[in-house]
Amino acid sequence: MDTLRIYLKLIGISMRSRLQYRADFVTGIISVIVLNAVNLTLIGILVNRFVHLNGWGLWEMVFLYSFWVMSHSLYSLLFWHFNTMEDHIVQGTFDQFLLRPIGTLVQFLGREIQYIGIGDVIVGATGLTLAYSHLHLDWGIYEYTWLVVSVLSGTLVETAIAWIISSLSFWTTRSMSAFFVMMRLNALTQQYPIDIFGTWFRVVVTGLIPVAFINYYPSLLLLGKTEQAGSWGWLGMMSPVVAVLLLGIALLVWNRALRRYSSTGS
Amino acid sequence: MISVRHLTKEFKRVKRKEGFLSGVRNLFSAEYTIKRAVDDISFEVREGEIVGYIGPNGAGKSTSIKMLSGILVPTSGHLEVNGIVPYKDRKANARQIGAVFGQKTQLWWDVPVIESLRLLKDIYKVSDRQYKRNLEIFNDLLELDTFCQTPVRQLSLGQRMRADLAAALQHDPKILFLDEPTIGVDIVAKEKLRTFIREINREFKVTVLLTTHDMWDIEKLCSRMLIIDHGQVIYDGSVEQIRDTYGGSRTLVVELEEEVADFSVPRAELVKSEGRKKWFRFNRLEASPSDLITQIGGRYPIVDLTVEEPEIEQLVRSIYQGQGRRTEVM
Amino acid sequence: MRLFWSFTRQSFHSSAIYRFDFWLQLFSVFLMMYSVFWIWTILYHQRPGAFGISLEQMITYGVLGMALDTIFHPGRGPQMYIAQQIRSGAIDTDLMKPLDFHLHMLARHFGETLFRFSTLALPSLIIGYLFLDLQLPAGWAQGLLFVISLLLGFMVLFSLNFLLGLLAVVTLDIRSITWAYNGIVRFFAGQMVPLWVFPGFIGALAAVLPFKSIFYIPLSIYIGRLSGSEAWQAIGFQLVWICVLIPLGRLAWGRIHSRLVVQGG
Repeated sequence: MDTLRIYLKLIGISMRSRLQYRADFVTGIISVIVLNAVNLTLIGILVNRFVHLNGWGLWEMVFLYSFWVMSHSLYSLLFWHFNTMEDHIVQGTFDQFLLRPIGTLVQFLGREIQYIGIGDVIVGATGLTLAYSHLHLDWGIYEYTWLVVSVLSGTLVETAIAWIISSLSFWTTRSMSAFFVMMRLNALTQQYPIDIFGTWFRVVVTGLIPVAFINYYPSLLLLGKTEQAGSWGWLGMMSPVVAVLLLGIALLVWNRALRRYSSTGS
Repeated sequence: MISVRHLTKEFKRVKRKEGFLSGVRNLFSAEYTIKRAVDDISFEVREGEIVGYIGPNGAGKSTSIKMLSGILVPTSGHLEVNGIVPYKDRKANARQIGAVFGQKTQLWWDVPVIESLRLLKDIYKVSDRQYKRNLEIFNDLLELDTFCQTPVRQLSLGQRMRADLAAALQHDPKILFLDEPTIGVDIVAKEKLRTFIREINREFKVTVLLTTHDMWDIEKLCSRMLIIDHGQVIYDGSVEQIRDTYGGSRTLVVELEEEVADFSVPRAELVKSEGRKKWFRFNRLEASPSDLITQIGGRYPIVDLTVEEPEIEQLVRSIYQGQGRRTEVM
Repeated sequence: MRLFWSFTRQSFHSSAIYRFDFWLQLFSVFLMMYSVFWIWTILYHQRPGAFGISLEQMITYGVLGMALDTIFHPGRGPQMYIAQQIRSGAIDTDLMKPLDFHLHMLARHFGETLFRFSTLALPSLIIGYLFLDLQLPAGWAQGLLFVISLLLGFMVLFSLNFLLGLLAVVTLDIRSITWAYNGIVRFFAGQMVPLWVFPGFIGALAAVLPFKSIFYIPLSIYIGRLSGSEAWQAIGFQLVWICVLIPLGRLAWGRIHSRLVVQGG
């Protein structure tokens, strides 16, 4: 409870820091919206020209895309700065987290906030709403609850992966390329149904770097496409489990990383 | 207060290859070298001491301070800070130490100083009473109130350092680690910082371990000096003694009103001359700066002058040259 | 030319590629080539011979587009360098050099591009050729035209990036603007989806904007979609835009240079 209180205070101060740069705030959010609009237009053109993509229609793909953006929004708001871990290590500013009598992780997490996530919320919510009405979905309380649960699980999956990668940078010093690989995988699962990429790709994004649980599997369930996905369909229920598992692994790797840091200092 | 025995710290480093296409060759293999940053050092620091911890760059100073503050785990050896082994109980140790690193601030860059202090109050669980009392002390001695509403990024270096000191001290630590606390700060601000450090040492019995490149810091603050080089302690003793034995020479730098030909002054040696500026080296036992100034000033009008203490590197060099006498000193 | 050579050498000399980093970068290029391979395979399975292009041509277009993304990614280039120098206040050291700034940026970026081409793009192309049905160009003439249009594409991208970099001098922070910029450039450049797939208005817009010089024209020449006089027309299109963009960049730089504010100090 104490840790949570400190975390909120840290976030508060980070937010006030951010608000010092208001112009950046506006251009940032507009940029995010433009970027997503461009991506969606590209998908729209493709699906429009070829009618569907492996059985996924335009609005189903918009749903898939927006679901990902929605999950991603919380991650980019609160946890995006796992990306910057390598800078803290290279420049030696990581030391400051070890100088205070509270946990290292809470200090790191509270260090920054990225308002860009607000742009993602706008894009994600708009996309989901449009897709919902165009697909004539009619959800009850169960589906809505599941939407919230799986969006949050998606956030945690992405966070845990980023956490693991940033922990690995304690060994490799540079983690930017690993983040690029993750971003690429993310972009693919965000924009396309992974069933088009063949089996081994599906195995990778399901079992190895399970980004498919951010949007693909929960979308199967919510769009009623589990039948179509065959023997992979049951995974639609699994994203909360995967999220918890992944967080556990991340915690283990993180602890090892900290131990390594205290023996090498870099 | 601080007890260090046979402390050693080794690092493994990747050896980078040199030359054309080095980047490409590094893709395929890597070699490692082991560097002993701290090599079997031992020393004690008693409560209430201010100890100057000096040595050239890369001598192992910051590595040992990092071990004392619990950031690094030693490869071997024993260390204890006020009864706590830092790497075994980092958080308990963190509560009893304060640290200021001159090169990087520990405050939140974009928010007013006071907000950082309030947050640290929560982090260290400082009581309201203690917080208020300390704030008064800081206002008094550091004039914190003149800039505590300013964001850190807009502070001058001297102010920033004062803010960092306040942040490091508000939980009443028993031990304070200062790593280059006066680096880049102007003379007046330096003096303020030194006065403050002396004050808190005297009033609150805070033990201070100080690394610096500025010999005046040592002169004005420390009673004792630990010199390390290549990871080893090469001197442990009083400041006066080392100055008398090795650091006898000082340099007087005068800036004259106009350019004049080189000239000599009794009991001093002209070592450098650059336009209107002249450097005179003298031995502090043979000549006093005021004598020299009177002599020079009698001949040419002086615009500006400073007296330079020997540099740390020079001191270390003379210790090596006088190895034979080392036993006497210790 | 000496200038270009020295910057290229410098790139080869000092570019710190970390081992782990390099293999991951290569892997992520492969990932993108692989995915684009499958996207077109699936789409062409649904509609064989769409747009009068064979699947092999389409895959070659896509895979090559991904491989060249390693050198033509709009997120790299002089604008990043300029923004970085502005932020750190080091831009004045660049201005003090007895070197034309525009030419300096061009040489520096050309060196980096050549370095990235030989370390990343070339291995990717080989991987694409061996594993992903990347075809060779139809003939020597077609290959030569491709190289020419690729170089011109580089010039167009450089000039656009340079203009964006000048924006960094004015607004001091372009980090967030670059996201939108990168998205728009890649979209209209036809990096992922070729312009002939674009419908009506968007297609007409993409046809006149300079961006198609970067990916669409070289790639279309490579796969033989544009050949003969059509190819020469496309190259002419690139040249026209270069003749517009270079003077524009230099003119803007001249204006901005005189009122350059260096941050910090």
